[in-house]
Amino acid sequence: MAGTAVHLRARQNEKRPTARRSGGGDFVLSIEEKSRSIRDPVAKLRFIRRSLARYQEADRKLQAVPTPLRTLLYKVTRFDRVTPLLTTNPNGAARPAGRPEPRRPARLGLPAASLLAGFALVAAGYQATRPVTAEPAGEAPRLAPRPVAETLPVLPQGVSPSRVWLVQSGDRWELYSNGLRVDTTYAIAGEPRRFRAFHVAAGMQEAVEEKPVGILFHTSESDIWPLEESFNEKLRDSSQGLLRYLRRNHVYHYLIDRFGQVFRVVEETAKANHAGHSVWARGDLVFLNLNNAFLGVSFETRWEGGRALPITEAQLAAGRSLTDYLRKRWEIAADLCVPHGLTSVNPRKRLIGHHLDWARGFPFEAFGLPDQYARPAPSVALFGFGYDERLVRVMGRPWAGVREAERILADEAAARGTTVDEVRRERQRRFDAWLAEQTSDQDAADARRVAAGAVGAKVRAPGVNRIGG
Amino acid sequence: MAENKDHLWKVADDAQDRIEDLVKAGANPLGMDVGTSKVVASRKSGKEIQSAHQLNAFIPVKWAPFTERTIQAQSDIAWYRDGEDLVIYGSATERFANMFNAEARRPMADGLLNPREKQAWPVLEAILQTLVPKARTAGETLAFSVPAAIAGKEAELVYHEAVLRKYFQGLGYRAVAINEGLAVIFSELEDQNFTGIGISCGGGMCNATLAYLSIPSIMFSIAKGGDFIDRSVGAVVDEHATRVKVLKEEGLDLSRAPRDKFEKALHIYYEDLVESLVEGLRRAISTAEKLPRTDRPLPIVLSGGTAKPRGFRELFERTLRSRALPVDVAEVRIASDPLTATARGALIAAMYEK
Repeated sequence: MAGTAVHLRARQNEKRPTARRSGGGDFVLSIEEKSRSIRDPVAKLRFIRRSLARYQEADRKLQAVPTPLRTLLYKVTRFDRVTPLLTTNPNGAARPAGRPEPRRPARLGLPAASLLAGFALVAAGYQATRPVTAEPAGEAPRLAPRPVAETLPVLPQGVSPSRVWLVQSGDRWELYSNGLRVDTTYAIAGEPRRFRAFHVAAGMQEAVEEKPVGILFHTSESDIWPLEESFNEKLRDSSQGLLRYLRRNHVYHYLIDRFGQVFRVVEETAKANHAGHSVWARGDLVFLNLNNAFLGVSFETRWEGGRALPITEAQLAAGRSLTDYLRKRWEIAADLCVPHGLTSVNPRKRLIGHHLDWARGFPFEAFGLPDQYARPAPSVALFGFGYDERLVRVMGRPWAGVREAERILADEAAARGTTVDEVRRERQRRFDAWLAEQTSDQDAADARRVAAGAVGAKVRAPGVNRIGG
Repeated sequence: MAENKDHLWKVADDAQDRIEDLVKAGANPLGMDVGTSKVVASRKSGKEIQSAHQLNAFIPVKWAPFTERTIQAQSDIAWYRDGEDLVIYGSATERFANMFNAEARRPMADGLLNPREKQAWPVLEAILQTLVPKARTAGETLAFSVPAAIAGKEAELVYHEAVLRKYFQGLGYRAVAINEGLAVIFSELEDQNFTGIGISCGGGMCNATLAYLSIPSIMFSIAKGGDFIDRSVGAVVDEHATRVKVLKEEGLDLSRAPRDKFEKALHIYYEDLVESLVEGLRRAISTAEKLPRTDRPLPIVLSGGTAKPRGFRELFERTLRSRALPVDVAEVRIASDPLTATARGALIAAMYEK
């Protein structure tokens, strides 16, 4: 094929009326060079089209300049090389849908035109010397804040039973005295639970814990069929697909589907993957990376239009029964029952809200639990984490506990005559130190398990993020 | 910060490809090649792209209780009853056409809904139903191919595109039309930054698009495709076009000398088609008012069922040499999978639009 290509080129070089070399600093060349490094076709297409869209906008402004000056500007700014690529119909459809017609540029008076021309010349000079950049080829920015989960109707507060016990069990089910029925079809054993808590003043505790101390509530945010009658044949398939995935990857201890059925995934005595980087505290006791210390209960939800849809009343009732059972069985304190969104952090960026499931709208009251949204966020108060504009864009504003924690940091800074930033940095150093200590402790434990010949023990390479599975 | 769970599970363990299907929102964009001869659907599954297709044809047979029972017993036959007829459509059509020695009918002609075919839309709708499920998420994206307009048929193209768009929207999709040649460029010329010439040689027509950085500069089509060859050969060798199609697809080799009258006719009409295509391309580029400036030789990709016979690329290249194009050509190649290139490109468009 190479020989053929050369031959074709040689012949056709003799008549090439339209092909001309582009000059250095050319916009188009710049786009070409950058896009060559992008391997994913969709990301590449996105980068190219976004880059061109920027020029389209600039071109629209240039069109407002009166004709003779406009022609000059096109030449000076080299926009004439880009204009063949500016179109309102980039897909070549007969009737492009959803694309606004180009706005007709307003006629400008001479003074305004001169001003704009001057500005355009300066801008052109700047453009010609800087590389073309488009927005990152990832997700488009969200335009409006959307809730991740809705507020739910409150169930009448009941008296929590003093005891919940297993009444009966079968091959693939268990029935408890509070009416909770657990389907165990997908249940799987896992790595034994093992963790050490930290004390605010004394650091890592000596005692190694093997019992869960808390519950993290999640939403699955899955791509599942809408809960509509017309999808009846598919509804259970998608839930079962999700359950198979969770089982294979040891994700969550429980999943509650949209019909209120409770499925056990990872056995309660084992750790499951559900928390990622996360922080929560009770009194002076602090828990880092909660896969080991907390049980994960997830509500199956459908992800639609950039948010998780609300859970059903059946899920609400089942979730409450399950929470009662877990709290009784493991003697879990009420303020250690918390939504995942309130605990999730990104240590590298020092940001809270890495995941935002139930970061608003968890029905604490209906579960007979104290409201954790109002509680000062431990990740902020103890470790100086912050938030960025992306959280604000999604949430509107952070939950009240974050603001309260920031107030605590500000008070402390004022009392010590230092800045809030300095206080934050101190706290962040503490987080880093504790995280390193926890990692080292876990590595040592893993090594001991392997040495002891523990079946299924996994040893991870140093440096690999080890808080997960 | 992320709103859904993929990051969590990536932290938790090495994420599997399936996670995208299970977790990400709107993870099911669909690419459709609605061609005169075949309808192809492509969808991403993990890292793979899965494609399915149906023959875009039908044949009515007289209804009788026995016939209906016989057809009912065979699960691979798609059909519906229309008054006194049983309409068999999709991939089973060819079998029945050969069995009854009858001509299969097409809901589309020359790349558009066939205005002379009364059953055009009901059949095409039935065929599409076998490939396109209802959208799982409101506003899920679907991109479907449309040809470039043939001079004088612009209004028909607008109608064709609007009918398909409305149908897909009715299934809950956000439907986006994409030029067929451009879709080929999307699927095959990613390494060239979507710059080059994409040609789709289908049943009803051939579509060619020259794009630079994914923006189409020239789009044209000729009303000659596989059907033209089948009809023309059928006329001179006295065979049904459907039969010609089957024989043609059984192993035509354009790189060797024809062995009989039938092959000779096929060679003649293939050459005629390619001549028309290259001449159309040359004329379109020569008369284009504004072309992006580039000194980069352009690759040409050939796709579609009509480009499948052995020797087609060489035939195209020979013809190209005899009529030098006013742009440099780097290479001529056949698409990695000619039958699905358009649908795969439409899928990239759908994923981009998501």
